[in-house]
Amino acid sequence: MTSVEPILEVRNLKKWFPVRSGLLSFMQEKKYVKAVDDVSFDVPRGGSIAIAGESGCGKTTLARTILRLIEPTSGSAYFEGVNISDLTREELRLLRLKMQIIFQNPFEVLDPRLTVETLVGEGLTIHKIEENEAELRRRVLAALENVRLMPAKDFARRYTHELSGGQLQRVAIARSLILEPKLIIADEPVSMLDASIRTEIMNLMEDLQEEHGLTYIFITHDLAQARYIADYIVIMYLGRLVETGPMEEVIMDPLHPYTKALVSNIPIPDPTHKRHRIMLPGETPTPIDLPPGCRFKPRCQEFGPQCKAEEPELVEVKPGRFVACYL
Amino acid sequence: MAVLEVENLKTYYYLGKESVKAVDGVSFKIEAKETLGLAGESGCGKTTTAYSIMRLLPENGRIVQGTIRLGDEEITALSEEEIRYLRWRKASIIFQYAMNAFNPVLRIGAQIVEVIREKEGVSKEEARATVSDLFDEVGLEPKRQRDYPHEFSGGMLQRAIIAQSLACDPMLVIADEPVTALDVIVQNKILDLLRKLQEKYELAVLFITHDLSVVAENCHNVGIMYAGNLVEVGSAKAVFKHNLHPYTSKLIGAFPSVIGEKKRLQFIPGTPPNLLNPPAGCRFHPRCPYAQDICKEKEPMYREIKQGHYAKCHFAGELSFEVIE
Ligand SMILES: Nc1ncnc2c1ncn2[C@@H]1O[C@H](COP(=O)(O)OP(=O)(O)OP(=O)(O)O)[C@@H](O)[C@H]1O
Ligand code: SF4
Ligand SMILES: [Mg+2]
Repeated sequence: MTSVEPILEVRNLKKWFPVRSGLLSFMQEKKYVKAVDDVSFDVPRGGSIAIAGESGCGKTTLARTILRLIEPTSGSAYFEGVNISDLTREELRLLRLKMQIIFQNPFEVLDPRLTVETLVGEGLTIHKIEENEAELRRRVLAALENVRLMPAKDFARRYTHELSGGQLQRVAIARSLILEPKLIIADEPVSMLDASIRTEIMNLMEDLQEEHGLTYIFITHDLAQARYIADYIVIMYLGRLVETGPMEEVIMDPLHPYTKALVSNIPIPDPTHKRHRIMLPGETPTPIDLPPGCRFKPRCQEFGPQCKAEEPELVEVKPGRFVACYL
Repeated sequence: MAVLEVENLKTYYYLGKESVKAVDGVSFKIEAKETLGLAGESGCGKTTTAYSIMRLLPENGRIVQGTIRLGDEEITALSEEEIRYLRWRKASIIFQYAMNAFNPVLRIGAQIVEVIREKEGVSKEEARATVSDLFDEVGLEPKRQRDYPHEFSGGMLQRAIIAQSLACDPMLVIADEPVTALDVIVQNKILDLLRKLQEKYELAVLFITHDLSVVAENCHNVGIMYAGNLVEVGSAKAVFKHNLHPYTSKLIGAFPSVIGEKKRLQFIPGTPPNLLNPPAGCRFHPRCPYAQDICKEKEPMYREIKQGHYAKCHFAGELSFEVIE
């Protein structure tokens, strides 16, 4: 995808969840929700990539499968050339220090009974990385300053209920940052926040990327947001990667019929700007019992005869632009 | 005559001896066939404004001042019984959480039939026929009246709620974050439907959302709220293109867009104030880059700066937002 050496390579990753279909299921063919279905892409070192698509398209499952928070059905992810599937539990634990995940809702991950100081230092103590108390404190305060929670000493003493939503998300980022990760996977990190605070967090993450040489994977349903935070984009539909390429190119000139519809439907904060909107028939189905051929075909406005027969492969149609569509 | 006219509305929530000044002196009106979009960050008082109009406030909430005229009736002083008579018939509300709008163990059609029968005193058959027509109108197959809420997708539920909101032929529909939980493609289908129905039934619509892009594309007029105050009201074009209030300008500057040049987005330092004890003077002054001494002491008047374009800032009309950054 780029000339830069990738930090993460995802290869033919699949996660199928079996569906229980009642008493008679043993007589029937087993059914699966194909949450992630044969997905491959590279993440360039020092870059930031957004994984976007509608709810239920498999974004979060993909991120969790990469980290092996859930085991893949098949396929693998390689971090700095090492196959994550081959790692032992202990190796996996060490790897997860380098690959941190930040969740949508900081309230769910941050224990309200602990001070910010304990919360931010937790990773270092649990993994016995820093056992000198004075040094631990110094690192916690530095991490708080890194995410601009200043005066750090003041914030260190507080509890979660004494912080705003934006401040909480910054605590969550500090908690990851203190472990000196190389890759951060952020699952809708700002979608719970108000516009003005959202921007503050996004700008902060951008600055931290430069300061610490981080690589990001952002998972988001909001393409407008994604545009400001990532240089590459992966578009998913029903578990499948349908298009990937440089962010601006994909947004300005989408090639896959689904991407075209998605981009055309994003609202614009300008009442004088009128655009043509591509309306898709029906709603996105669940990824069980998919029809043969391209899974977007039932809603596609452009399909041809070959779309019915076989699932299209992801191919490079222009330099750097990959699309899974026959047209 | 405007369908809805709200004058200097103050609604407070009481917590022991203290009060949360959730809506504090808000005035606006909405004409038939017109949509007013009410936008602002979480906790600024949008839902409280809506609940005041519907008279659906929780027990500790009270309208302490101001008037709300709906059609030819002043409703702040009406009894609970009188207001129950008006709900659905004159004004109805579409809630944010489609999932909670219907009772999960009853068929959707039956629930709408109940609303119609309670209000209009018609037979079951007549009410059922009305529901069939409404379903057809909102793009649902009439036979799906017999479905239970869990058999509907999010988009379908939102359609059923819209059908219900129209069941008794109201003149005002309040939509509180009607599409926030939906994906963009479904979102636009629902918004198109709302627009079509508004035209047909000449509805006045109060559209509440925190998403300025949705406001820009779907509302004739826009009101921006901050900390219980309405700080700016005007046509969508005026508010987005020639805004008068520093908060409006900052909020719009914080919104990402998929078109146009990609600039680093703005943010507003600090957080909205605690409404138990809001700052004196202008409530935005602790975060406002243009604040002067007067802003700390004197509350600005909400006044008409240009025809139909109102703002609540001491310096409205005198500031140029492009220059100072
Ligand atoms: N029952 C209540 N008792 C006390 N305070 C309340 C109550 N309900 C709401 N509030 C407060 O009133 C203020 C306005 O709340 P409101 O729900 O109207 O905001 P909103 O603009 O609709 O926000 P959101 O975008 O999050 O829905 C907030 O400060 C909120 O915390
Ligand atoms: S009144 Fe003063 S503080 Fe308030 S918005 Fe205007 S300039 Fe800013
Ligand atoms: Mg609300």
